[in-house]
Amino acid sequence: MKTTIMRLARIFFLGFSILLCWSGTVQAGNATADKKAHRLYQDNCASCHGADYGGYLAPALNAETLQGRSPTALRSLIMVGSFDTLMPPFYGRLSDDDIRLLVGHIQKTPRQPNPEWTLEDMKASLKIYVKDESKLPTAPTYRIGGMDDLIGVAARGKYGRGNGSEAIFIDSGSHRQVGRVPTVTAAHIIDFNPARPRWAYVKTDTAEIYKVDLYSMQAVRSIKTGFNGPGMGVSRDGKYIMAGAFVPHVAVILDADTLEPLKTFQLEGVDPDGKFVSSDSGMVIGTPFADIFAIALENAGQVWIVDLQEGFPVTKIKNVGRHLHDAFLTHGGRKLMVASYDDSIVAAIDLQQRKLIKKLPAGCVPHVGGGAAVVVDGRTLGFGTNFGTCDKTVVSVWDLDKMELLKQVPVSGGTESPAAHANAPYVAVDIISKDRRARTIQLIDKKTLEVAKTLDVGGHAYFPEYSADGRYLYVSAGYNGDEVVVYDSTTLKKVAAIAMESPAGIFSRGRVKYMTRGLSPDVMQE
Amino acid sequence: MKNMTVFLTMGIAAWFAGNTHAASPYAGKAKAAAVCAQCHGIRSPAAEAPFPVLAGRDVQYLRMALKQYRDKTRTAPIMNNIAGSLSDRDIDDITAYYSRVTP
Repeated sequence: MKTTIMRLARIFFLGFSILLCWSGTVQAGNATADKKAHRLYQDNCASCHGADYGGYLAPALNAETLQGRSPTALRSLIMVGSFDTLMPPFYGRLSDDDIRLLVGHIQKTPRQPNPEWTLEDMKASLKIYVKDESKLPTAPTYRIGGMDDLIGVAARGKYGRGNGSEAIFIDSGSHRQVGRVPTVTAAHIIDFNPARPRWAYVKTDTAEIYKVDLYSMQAVRSIKTGFNGPGMGVSRDGKYIMAGAFVPHVAVILDADTLEPLKTFQLEGVDPDGKFVSSDSGMVIGTPFADIFAIALENAGQVWIVDLQEGFPVTKIKNVGRHLHDAFLTHGGRKLMVASYDDSIVAAIDLQQRKLIKKLPAGCVPHVGGGAAVVVDGRTLGFGTNFGTCDKTVVSVWDLDKMELLKQVPVSGGTESPAAHANAPYVAVDIISKDRRARTIQLIDKKTLEVAKTLDVGGHAYFPEYSADGRYLYVSAGYNGDEVVVYDSTTLKKVAAIAMESPAGIFSRGRVKYMTRGLSPDVMQE
Repeated sequence: MKNMTVFLTMGIAAWFAGNTHAASPYAGKAKAAAVCAQCHGIRSPAAEAPFPVLAGRDVQYLRMALKQYRDKTRTAPIMNNIAGSLSDRDIDDITAYYSRVTP
């Protein structure tokens, strides 16, 4: 009897240990799978959907936002991509097992806490590709009329990373590509050094900044300033760069020469509703008016002015608006027009007095892009695009001297970026509404302030930009267009097309001369 | 009898006119942008993508391949589904367009 009990106990014990062992392996197996899935997410999804699973250019992918979604539907969406968005097809690029693993992973992972990325982390990420910059050529190694003729295009690459992701430079005199600088992940913003024409800075969606030599068309250094976020500005003396991130909530000032980080700023403060919040970085901008940077704190609704002197002191302008995003300068760079998504206003800030002057109506969910301002009959008019998620789709025109709304021009859909030039008759806006209209851009006559013409560019046309002399209008055909299309800015005849993968933002070097697109390239307007 | 022949000839001509058409690369362009370009691109697929180039390929080859995918005599689950939604006319238009694009 005793032996039987003993035997039973032994069997039981054995069974129990086997069970224990088995559950242990399962857990270890799960941990490995989770680790792999997290890696897959970071390598394939994070540059658009956010390193914290909280969304960025593309929707948030986490347990909360994907609750109740069919795993099969998510799997097919990942396989074939999503039409007329930046979401590419991952069929053949990720295995079916990996796609299933990813779906399970994003459906159970909560939005991650703000990860740390300190000054030390940034320092450690500094990469040097060209050790001795004094050995670089002293003039452009390609034929070009002048450096202002350069146009930089952020070619995202279909997958937001890999061989298609580059900053591509075009000579707007000949419409030929003169350089391509691989950026590993999608290039988002290209800024030119106002004081030293040979340097440009490219920021990617994964927050790396590349210092690019435009004479030899190569990256000489890079630094990782965070995990996601496009915000970047260059100071008027060309000595500093400021960069702001979505993930984590940090901004940093870099030495523009060495890319060494000098000081970081935690982006947090009291929002217009009295809540203390940690905040994404919106636009970061340098101005020809003073040795300062202005940075918008998206969620805190504040604009900070950073003086470029010992210790980089900060002046905080509060209650600017709810969910600030981008901005443009006017009046010689003394005034800053900041878009506020949730209030549907553009807030005018005086950078000299460091205070909010006025809030102007701006349509629905204003996204001013790089902004545009033109002088017509002695008046300086500002043009404001907006996503137009309500019924009214208009472009707002403000009298910037009086700081009042002059007109809201009806356009065919939502818009996200205006382009203007002192020598060109039209202000171009990109229609982004998700149907056939997305193929088009509309041209507003500067004098009549009415839409004069609609161009069918193809693909998902966006980010119009004029060449520095104003003779040509460049437009990205976008997601599926795979080319930048060039028009004569007066006749609006197509004159060239330059092939590249998923082109987005277009940045003329002329911008450093006229500050805001549309103002005179020759005289800085007061 | 003569009238009958004329009538018959006209009838045949009308039948042909109703059933044949010249492939339109313009219609093909819109269809290609909506159906094919997501993976295959217009001029070329993404550098990182495993999909073949369609631009500049022989029109007969493209037409044959699409019809095989549609009829499932050539099997590839995604292509069978996508080609399955295309009419003969769509296939003619799309292939007329892609064969004319410079890659």
